[in-house]
Amino acid sequence: MTSNPKGQANMTKTGMIDFRGVNKWFGALNVLKDITLSVEPREVVVVCGPSGSGKSTLIRCINGLEAIKDGDLIVDGQRLGDPATNMTRLRTEIGFVFQSFNLYPHKTALENVTLAPIHVRRIPRAEAEKDGRELLAKVGLGDKVDAYPGQLSGGQQQRVAIARCLGMRPKIMLFDEPTSALDPEMISEVLDVMVAVAEEGMTMMVVTHEMGFARKVAQRVVFMDAGAIVESGTPEEFFSHPKTDRSRAFLSKILRH
Amino acid sequence: MLENFSFRTIVEYLPLFGQGLVTTVWLSLISFAGALAVGILLAAMNLQRGWLFRVPAKAYIDAVRATPLLAQLYFLYFGLPRLGFVLPELVVGILALSLNSGAYVAEIIRAGILSIPRGQVEAGVASGMTYVQRMRLVILPQAFKVTIPPLLGQAIVLVKDSALLSLISVAELTRAGQLLASDRFMPAEGFITIAAFYLLLYYCLKGLAALSGRWLGLQPARSST
Repeated sequence: MTSNPKGQANMTKTGMIDFRGVNKWFGALNVLKDITLSVEPREVVVVCGPSGSGKSTLIRCINGLEAIKDGDLIVDGQRLGDPATNMTRLRTEIGFVFQSFNLYPHKTALENVTLAPIHVRRIPRAEAEKDGRELLAKVGLGDKVDAYPGQLSGGQQQRVAIARCLGMRPKIMLFDEPTSALDPEMISEVLDVMVAVAEEGMTMMVVTHEMGFARKVAQRVVFMDAGAIVESGTPEEFFSHPKTDRSRAFLSKILRH
Repeated sequence: MLENFSFRTIVEYLPLFGQGLVTTVWLSLISFAGALAVGILLAAMNLQRGWLFRVPAKAYIDAVRATPLLAQLYFLYFGLPRLGFVLPELVVGILALSLNSGAYVAEIIRAGILSIPRGQVEAGVASGMTYVQRMRLVILPQAFKVTIPPLLGQAIVLVKDSALLSLISVAELTRAGQLLASDRFMPAEGFITIAAFYLLLYYCLKGLAALSGRWLGLQPARSST
């Protein structure tokens, strides 16, 4: 990865997550176009946009699930791709919630939550299990600690997945369409947990189309289209007075029903 | 016709068949353990991104699967001494079965690992696990369950393949049948008896497969989506 001279020029302010002129290609397709975006500590940013606009790719870059091609991406003060950056270490500070949950099917809910704390964070098992039980109780699954993912509903699985991330005591939480794979009646139970996490001051980037969630806890909404950030503003500004044709067209589609 | 069939001779030779059966069982067990070791190593090499390990592993697997086991056995039995390695026939036999079956086991294990959804790897990566931790804690325990039934299938093949070791005078089950056939000129008695014993071994392994299947059924193998 090459460092971006423009990026180095304004090193004055560093957010928790700092994109500076980031580009990424899948083959010939420019999936991230010159992304510049800074997320402050404790800030909650909602990313929305049409399918294929690059929003998932954007947050997958933050914990290195996708590599960036050029530009700088600085997370918690560490530049991705820098030889001095220990990516495995950095990932322990970043929770990632997947659309398809990706719980470990051979582990119970509690084991899902304690696996990385025990083996990666090296927290003593007894302590990790105590933490894990508390976290599962916090997401409303205190009675499901010994259940396997296959025995849980989608909403319950996603709440276990959130508890699994929280078990690592991360500084940042990333959510990649956390409610898109859920039946409608299960969406709110997951959003409630996310609101609680946000209200505790977690730095969050959330890819979602849940406008209620955005209005409630987001400081900022970022609208992406065709790999670029087209518009960004407070939820109030964005939903009430979208500035571009593309965001107006997008909002009219998702708000219609 | 059937009055010529001598059950008495079979009973007379039963101790010999018993010894052969025992030999077949333990040399198959050792060979299968060897095949697992070879297979795990080859599968690990074959799953690497770089060509340095992957290409030799693929070449080995292709070479073994493309050539007859008998040719491989003869190469080791007759060829190795000419190259300066003189080994007892039993060792050569176990080596041949391990090296041969290992190539098939490698493909079973590789398929098992690749059958685990990509999201499982990503979940491990995202929580800061190293490659080794991901394999040990997330991928292999799941892949292991998927591979048990085909591995038992491969074990059945190995038991039958072990009959070829009679050709390098290992005193296993088929060898016992050959002895009866040649000493008393009773091929029907000799070979029907060993067939019965192989059938017995087959049902044992099949029972084991069914048991493991029931055990695997206790827990869901895959999360939804």
